Amino acid sequence: MRAMILKEFRELRRDRRTVAMLVVLPVLLLVVFGYAANFTIDSVATQVVGPGAEHAAAALPEPFDLQGTDPSAGADEAHRLLRDNEADVVVDTGTVPPTVYVDGSNLFVAQAAVAALGRLGDQVSTEVLFNPDLTTSWVMVPGLVGLILAFIGTIITSIGLVRERQTGTLEQLAVMPLRPSDVIVGKIAPYFILASLDMLVVTLLGVWIFDVPFVGNPVLFAAGAAGFLLVVLGFGVLISTASQTQGQAIQLAIMTLLPQILLSGFIFPLAAMPPGVRWIGYCLPLTYFIQLSQGIMLRGAGIDSLWPALVVLTGMAAVVFTAAVLRFRRDLAPARRRPHAHAPAPSGVAA
Amino acid sequence: MPAEPAAGPALVDVQGVTRRFGTFTAVDDASLVVHAGEIVGLLGANGAGKTTLIRMVLGLTPPTVGRILVFGEPPSRSGRRRLGYVPQSLGLYDDLSVRENLAFVAAVYGSPVPVPPDLADVADALVGTIGLGRQRRLAFAAALAHGPELLVLDEPTSGVDPLARTRLWDAVHEQAEAGVGVLVTTHYMSEAQQCDRLMLMSRGRCVATGSEADIVAGTTAVAVRTTRWQDAFVALDAAGLPVTLAGRAVRVAATPPDDVRAALLRAGLEAQVDQVRPTLEEAMTELDRVPA
Repeated sequence: MRAMILKEFRELRRDRRTVAMLVVLPVLLLVVFGYAANFTIDSVATQVVGPGAEHAAAALPEPFDLQGTDPSAGADEAHRLLRDNEADVVVDTGTVPPTVYVDGSNLFVAQAAVAALGRLGDQVSTEVLFNPDLTTSWVMVPGLVGLILAFIGTIITSIGLVRERQTGTLEQLAVMPLRPSDVIVGKIAPYFILASLDMLVVTLLGVWIFDVPFVGNPVLFAAGAAGFLLVVLGFGVLISTASQTQGQAIQLAIMTLLPQILLSGFIFPLAAMPPGVRWIGYCLPLTYFIQLSQGIMLRGAGIDSLWPALVVLTGMAAVVFTAAVLRFRRDLAPARRRPHAHAPAPSGVAA
Repeated sequence: MPAEPAAGPALVDVQGVTRRFGTFTAVDDASLVVHAGEIVGLLGANGAGKTTLIRMVLGLTPPTVGRILVFGEPPSRSGRRRLGYVPQSLGLYDDLSVRENLAFVAAVYGSPVPVPPDLADVADALVGTIGLGRQRRLAFAAALAHGPELLVLDEPTSGVDPLARTRLWDAVHEQAEAGVGVLVTTHYMSEAQQCDRLMLMSRGRCVATGSEADIVAGTTAVAVRTTRWQDAFVALDAAGLPVTLAGRAVRVAATPPDDVRAALLRAGLEAQVDQVRPTLEEAMTELDRVPA
């Protein structure tokens, strides 16, 4: 038995992916559930508009955190501030009693705000915008669309590519008179199409079954989804070039998906995370896709407020997808490189 | 030492090629020529460097040192249109049917590929569900579909029953007679006679080239005839000689007859020791010992 245990440890030690999982997963889960897994909001970004703005701003109770005042503005500006995500709550002092507008698309913040406003009783009138009943599914479905894209883009794509390598058909493709770009596009396009179809189906089902609104611009939504999809497809291709078996590919894919599920704001609100952990969230593509999808579907936000997320996704797509194509190409056309640069030794090479 | 090259032009011309993977030298200073219409066999045990050499000819692995010309130029995409390749793993899609696999090849090369008559009954079966012999037959048909001038076959008969093996070799000869150059690897010495020329590889080095007769010619083997063949075998083996047993015939490779007699005498055995024509395996044993 001792020999068996020793052997197992020796094997595990050499399997770097498993070692990484053994180290990364506990650390990640500890960080997430220790710091990030927090539904409690203790700061609500608040703007105050209307003639009594200065006075009302001075009297804001906890947890409302004053971001700015604009005495000349009214209800329209209040709507705009929330739609463009410049505030979670806007107080309009132009009415009696003052109207407090809450962004319902930011579920946990909105719940915290509504609860705090409830304690003020009749002093204010509360109006929740974009998700008046604070329905969870309305907030989850736009995020879920992204999660499904990430799942197909990363896991399904990498499995499909590794299968080609494992069965030796990738080698056959490399010998056929196909350009590397033919092989790469031909191999990735089906997954792009499948993921796009899935996205369409999930979005439509969300709208029909859960009555999730889609008030924004579908073209902008499609552009964001395409950028995000290129990032996760790129992850899938990169994973496939680093994996010899489908099991290894799935292992690596999980390591990219899990942080996105936990730290993108999909489940736990980014606002409730300590800054250190929140920064991890800001490095993940799903974070930006959720900003886009929630903004477009629920609030009808436009390009003028969503462009930063779109730019980040486009930048990530350019970097990740280019790296993926270059790595993939290296497997297909090794002879183009200088002879000494060859690193990977596919199974059976030395026969 | 190489046999007279066939009449056709050189399709593959490998000169002084070495390939290292880190500190491991998979192919060491190998040279090889394949002409149109000839079958060149790469022989050697597993790990001898055959597949690496083939992969370099195909342009899948760049050489560390040396020059490779295929159709007169370095391996290129335009050259690939003129060659057919059957990898050891066959390169077929298990989840596609026979017909669908051929349709893919047809689309890539732009020439129709009919289902071969002997595969007609499984045309719509998934490739993963048909036998290995038929899979090889299919891979072969797929590789020949576009009328290649050069055929590269990596262990084409491994795992195939003797009848199917004969049929495959018939098909290979048919191609060679039609002017196709064939480069084939095998670790079955018995298949050497199917080739016009051979290149024996061992530990990455080319240890001999030529026809089977050329390779065998420079080597020795002796047959030991005695009623006490079991004792003779044990004694020669104990003396560290490369002894083999074929039925009751004791054979010793790469050893002069006198040395064998001396070893037998030391063991107190009397036997008739004759020099015989070595088999290819025996030649290989000897060539493997002498630095090329």
